[in-house]
Amino acid sequence: MNAISVSAPLIALDKVAKTYPGPAADFHALADIDLDIQRGDFVAVVGASGSGKSTLLNLLGGIDRASSGRIVINGRDLGSASERELTAWRGRNVGIVFQFFQLLPTLTALENVMLPMDFARLGSSRERKQRAQLLLERLQIADQADKLPSSLSGGQQQRVAVARALANDPPILLADEPTGNLDSRTADSLLDGLTELVRDGLTLVMVTHEPRAMARASRAVSLADGRIVQPERNHA
Amino acid sequence: MLSPRWRKMLRDASQHKSRTALVVVALVVGLIGAGALLASWALVRQVTAQTFIASRPVSATLRVERVDDALLASLRQMPQVAAVRARRVVYAGLDANGRRTRVQLFALSDWQARDIGQLRPERGSWPPQDGEIVLEPSSLEFAGAQFGQSVQVTIDQGASVTLPVSGITRDVSLAPGWMDHIATAFVTPATLARLGAPADFNEIQFVVRDTTLDRDAVRRIADEVRARIEQEGGRVTNIVVPVPGEHVHAAQMDSLSLTQGAFALMTLAVCALLVVNLVAGMLASQTREIGVMKALGASARQIGTLYAGFALALGLASSLVALPLAIAIARPYAAMKLEMLNFPIGGAAVPWWVLLLLLAAGCVLPVAAAAIPVVRACRLRAADALRDSGIVADGGHLRRRFVLPGISRPLQLSIGNAFRKPQRMLLTVLALAAGGAVYLGADSLRSGVRASVTQLFAGSRYDVSLHLSDGAEAARAERAALTVPGVIAAQALVSATGTVLHKDGLDGERFALVGLPPSSPLLAPLIQQGRGVAAGDGQVLVVSRSLLKDEPALVLGADVELRVSDRLSRWRVIGVVDVGPQPLAYVPAAALNAARGSELASILLLTLGTGDVAVQRETILRTRAVLATAGIAVGRSELVSEARRVFEDHLLMVVQFLGVMGWAMIAIGAIGLASTMSLGVLERTREIGVMRALGATDRAIASLVQFEGLVVAGLAWMVSLLLSLPIGQLLADAFGRVMFTVPMQPLPPARAALSWGLLLVLVSAIACSWPARRAVRLPAARVLAYE
Ligand SMILES: Nc1ncnc2c1ncn2[C@@H]1O[C@H](COP(=O)(O)OP(=O)(O)OP(=O)(O)O)[C@@H](O)[C@H]1O
Ligand SMILES: [Mg+2]
Repeated sequence: MNAISVSAPLIALDKVAKTYPGPAADFHALADIDLDIQRGDFVAVVGASGSGKSTLLNLLGGIDRASSGRIVINGRDLGSASERELTAWRGRNVGIVFQFFQLLPTLTALENVMLPMDFARLGSSRERKQRAQLLLERLQIADQADKLPSSLSGGQQQRVAVARALANDPPILLADEPTGNLDSRTADSLLDGLTELVRDGLTLVMVTHEPRAMARASRAVSLADGRIVQPERNHA
Repeated sequence: MLSPRWRKMLRDASQHKSRTALVVVALVVGLIGAGALLASWALVRQVTAQTFIASRPVSATLRVERVDDALLASLRQMPQVAAVRARRVVYAGLDANGRRTRVQLFALSDWQARDIGQLRPERGSWPPQDGEIVLEPSSLEFAGAQFGQSVQVTIDQGASVTLPVSGITRDVSLAPGWMDHIATAFVTPATLARLGAPADFNEIQFVVRDTTLDRDAVRRIADEVRARIEQEGGRVTNIVVPVPGEHVHAAQMDSLSLTQGAFALMTLAVCALLVVNLVAGMLASQTREIGVMKALGASARQIGTLYAGFALALGLASSLVALPLAIAIARPYAAMKLEMLNFPIGGAAVPWWVLLLLLAAGCVLPVAAAAIPVVRACRLRAADALRDSGIVADGGHLRRRFVLPGISRPLQLSIGNAFRKPQRMLLTVLALAAGGAVYLGADSLRSGVRASVTQLFAGSRYDVSLHLSDGAEAARAERAALTVPGVIAAQALVSATGTVLHKDGLDGERFALVGLPPSSPLLAPLIQQGRGVAAGDGQVLVVSRSLLKDEPALVLGADVELRVSDRLSRWRVIGVVDVGPQPLAYVPAAALNAARGSELASILLLTLGTGDVAVQRETILRTRAVLATAGIAVGRSELVSEARRVFEDHLLMVVQFLGVMGWAMIAIGAIGLASTMSLGVLERTREIGVMRALGATDRAIASLVQFEGLVVAGLAWMVSLLLSLPIGQLLADAFGRVMFTVPMQPLPPARAALSWGLLLVLVSAIACSWPARRAVRLPAARVLAYE
């Protein structure tokens, strides 16, 4: 991957801050974040618990708004987009793997994966089902397709969440510790799959603590107390 | 194939079966209540138009001395007049199956007329032939008569004539016989002659061409008709103009419809509260899932459609269940109301617009209720929605910190729990309180009505009144009556009918003038305004409230000109009394005698030594015989106790209905409490699990829920006491406008408040038993796993 791209970055953060109002004083979850991410980058976000990793991912996915600064993704300024525009944009352009999976409890694994396609009205309902099945196969949980999340293990739920994030074939994937609950073999195969997608042009931002995952990233962004602490490090 | 999002909706609903079912039950109950009332109202309206208006009710009745065909033909020439007929009304006694009733016999010049007071034959032959009698259906049961049997008809002291009941024909313009306590029958003039009554017609009735005219305009036309009759050599002695287009009982019906309409709205509103509560509760746990869906790219519209569709399905299902039931209730209910108006319900169907309106209400209500929490969840940023677990208690934490001295820990916990969701609790309290307020309002109206009926009859210190058909000298009649064993006191009264002379020179409606002697031991009307008749008074009037309603000019202090027995005289209004729905005025007997030029008494009041009705009747028969030998003819007799019972029954029918509404609303309130409590249990699943883990017993957990229910019930009790004041006053006002003034207590009676409180405890215990059981039965593993 070429780190120094001539084209404008796919994701550009300029002096982004996120402040939560608190009872006594406001809490600065993110401060002064400048970050450019190129198309096809695999960025590992690392940092201690509470350092603002999930917050950063939420801002990138447009499910939360920055308190100040600018976030531009593929030429679109997220700050000036309406909630409606953001939602429509997110449905087609961003896949999100939540830290706590957030599978819908009354839908089966397969149906959870079909849901984003349903909302984005992609393909016929048969095509959606086929694609969902394909994704579950790739993540090696096709045999769990008809189970409800409550009867899946943590790792299985995590993989369903990844499959769901990939459902609409988004150009950007934001994943919050997608390998956290997986054994090393399953984690490796998931990372293999994701790396393959990155090679095909996916831009991946992944929160992780695991060296195994960090090793595969093209770069790492390290957060501490809401700030980027290390000079960005090119990996490949 | 159903898309995943709709499948999610379906499964959510089936997961929360009981709550979904409660929403449907609440909607069904509300729709049945409101629907039955609305549909029956529409039916009554429709049948009124189809029968009463279509029968071309008589616009005016003129009493004349002589009617012939030439006169009728001449009146038909008048451009303002659409139709004319002549009739004679004769009052008689009717004996059937051992019962004696008063009957008004109608003989008409045209039995088949379609353009004036059309009659509706229902059974047997029509018109009546000589020697036969046709009865009005509303008189049948009341008179104890049956189609095909014979009845005896007697006029005054004349001979009894046996007449076969050859037909049943309805006159929709009459109040039903059972309500007005007089039977109605139709006979030919020849039959009247056989009974010893005059056989020629003495009344002229007509219908005006312009049916939009008001009462005064019709009065003016009646006056022109009078002029025409007098031109032709006739003499008009009386004119009656009813309110155009209105049935005699329209006012009662209006008051009933009004209160019912108000209660239909209230029921629906209470159900709406409940539906809002339930749907909000159902969606509380959905906030996070809405956040997830938004994060997955679901637009607000998609989410809105999803939940609206769900709510719509609930509404549709409820409507489908409720509508047939509402209609099934509406028909007999409308029939009952129509019976009070003497209209047959026939094949009338509930109009389609009622069904559409109910369907719309049933569908819109849950959608609107769902809109609030869904819009709120959609407005939340996805990130905030995702953080919402739906079960974390929001607000009210601090309130729990209040330490109420002397109250046990669990009770304090229950009080705190009750206030955790203040908005939901408020709705629950309101729903319960509204039912209670109606219950209490109906109760105090009931005792108010009883009290005012007692007051109405308080001045009547006699047991029976006899009408002296031809009049008699007062002292002689009293003396004769006192010779009868069992008669303790007797007082004869003079009376007359009068009319108020209006400014435009026309007469108003006739009313009774009752003359009171300076000392009147048996009849002492309770004065409401001004003063009563006193010794030395000249031409003064004490008017009844209903007369004042008919003749608004008769206010306290007014000077009016009256026509009494065809003579004009001036009177001053000095007082107002309440005697129920009769228009009448009390005057000094001497002044009345002077005004009418006669001293003969026409009413004889008797106090009897016994309260036993059978003995009273025997005494009446003996008195009749004694008076007859003294040459005094007695017409009808009336027992005060019976009059009072009939009067009370009619009034209490309306009150009873309110009581039923109160019960229905309490039931809905109980459903509301049950659902609120079960939501609370669901939301506190984890907390209950923790308490379990800390060693709380089943009983401790169940009583925690029961206590919380009692806290809500206690609040509802207090609110309902407050609410019952305006509601009771409203009811009393509505009642007073149509019937008579009902004194309302400033506070609901302690007995009623207490029994309502006990009822609430019971309601709360029942409503909470299910959520309490659920709380106890939660399996520990699931309790702690619950997200
Ligand atoms: N809604 C909120 N209101 C107030 N503070 C918040 C809110 N959400 C997050 N924070 C705070 O912001 C900081 C960053 O949170 P964030 O969830 O981004 O951490 P993280 O790096 O993802 O941690 P972890 O590795 O434990 O998931 C934390 O200190 C957290 O307490
Ligand atoms: Mg995190």
